Amino acid sequence: MFTNLKRILKFGWQSFVRNKGLSFQVIFIMIVAVLTVTSLFLLQEISSFLISEIQKKVDIAVYFKKDVDESQILEVKKALSEFSDKIESIDYISKNKAQEIFLQKHKKDPLYLQALEEIGENPFLASLNIKAKSPNFYANISDFLVRGPFQDIIEKVSYYESEKVINRLFSLTEEVKTIGIGLSIIVGILVLLITFNTVKLTIFAFRDEITTMKLVGASNWFIRGPFLVQSLFYGIFGVLIADLILFTTLYFFNSRLERWLLNFDLLSFFQENLLFLILIQLGFTLFLGIVSTTLAVRKYLKV
Amino acid sequence: MIQFKNVSKIYYSTQDPVVALADVSFQITKGEFVSIVGKSGAGKTTLIKLLIGEEKPTSGEILFKGKNVTEMSPREIQSLRRKIGVIYQDYKLLPGKTVRENVEYIMQIIGAKDKDILRDVPQVLEIVGLADRQSSFPQELSGGEKQRLAIARALCHRPEVIVADEPTGNLDLYNTFEIVNLLKKIHQFGTTVILATHNKEVIDSLEERVITLDQGKIIHDQKKGKFIL
Repeated sequence: MFTNLKRILKFGWQSFVRNKGLSFQVIFIMIVAVLTVTSLFLLQEISSFLISEIQKKVDIAVYFKKDVDESQILEVKKALSEFSDKIESIDYISKNKAQEIFLQKHKKDPLYLQALEEIGENPFLASLNIKAKSPNFYANISDFLVRGPFQDIIEKVSYYESEKVINRLFSLTEEVKTIGIGLSIIVGILVLLITFNTVKLTIFAFRDEITTMKLVGASNWFIRGPFLVQSLFYGIFGVLIADLILFTTLYFFNSRLERWLLNFDLLSFFQENLLFLILIQLGFTLFLGIVSTTLAVRKYLKV
Repeated sequence: MIQFKNVSKIYYSTQDPVVALADVSFQITKGEFVSIVGKSGAGKTTLIKLLIGEEKPTSGEILFKGKNVTEMSPREIQSLRRKIGVIYQDYKLLPGKTVRENVEYIMQIIGAKDKDILRDVPQVLEIVGLADRQSSFPQELSGGEKQRLAIARALCHRPEVIVADEPTGNLDLYNTFEIVNLLKKIHQFGTTVILATHNKEVIDSLEERVITLDQGKIIHDQKKGKFIL
């Protein structure tokens, strides 16, 4: 048993090394397969990150009428706790705080400061800034505020001014997710078919050899084994080279990518998840190699 | 040891069926040297394919040591093929392995120990005159060398029967008799030898049993036969 295993491993390695051209072809396809699948995985991560980042920037503001007391506003804030499963955070911005923010924002803009001075009093309204857990909760929250018990003290809700943008953003994130999944399935099937056919063609080159082995009395496992070992090497080398290419690319382009991806550090993400990625990639390539080799060899074992 | 009982083999194609063997019956005892003679297409190769279970007969029985080859399981066929060393007309060598590895492979598939392989393979290569070509690949060998390698591979694990299908078909006169002498030597060691050929000089020089096939039928079976076609 051990002797046979040792011989099978030796034959597999021998064939891998001696048929360099064929090995190179299969490894190349494996690299493309690994890069494609890993890129899809990374893209999925990037899009999730970008969607959540953009969602974080969306909020609605409830402005209260001029004469409304702070205690009434805090009562509204308390009442909103019934939406606690839908609300991420609520920030109270008093009149003074709103003015402070304005001054801070426009401190280098004398025109704005002059206009404010001419008014002579604080023209800003107190408000509650509400950040929902998902953009599709804003409609519910806004309806509660506008049509609920607090409608008399509310001046306006910013949601109705940016409703279209928020809804568009919501449908866009859903579209991005659907397109991402659809694209991953199509590309995944393509990669599977191309790799399977390449392995099939490689085995086809050995068809006479397989027949001869069978005719001289070799068992199916003694014939199939070295091809499986060979496919293991294709997978291992494919994964190693693909990850080396990915690492080098990210290493040199990460700072530029970070700027485009709202500070998402792809290189760190890749390094932190490298072990998990390698395991997934090895699982994927070994599964591909073993299934396609077994199916391709089986055809020629019927002698 | 080997018995063909009313064996027929018909190949069905889109055109007329081709009768490769028609009701063939004969018996070969242990230690015999039997030549099977016939023109191209007489059914010699079909007979060998049926014997090693590469193909199944349309009717009849083929017995090897009392066991019906047509009813053998894949595992039994595998074991049968290890007992019969076949020298093929087209050599059927393993192109990805060296001369030495081609011979070693046969011993490895029967599960021989490494020390036995190390001891026997150089001896066999010495016998067939390929000791100095051990590291060459089959495509680097001449026709005669390839044939000798095929013989080395067929006899290295000491099979009970050696079957040679037109082993001299692609060789010149010198190499032909070298191969025939090797087969005689193997026979002298007690191995049953079946030689399929259409070479008159070879048959006439052997003075052994000759079964003559013509259009799939046995037309002669002589104890010390001559080439009569």
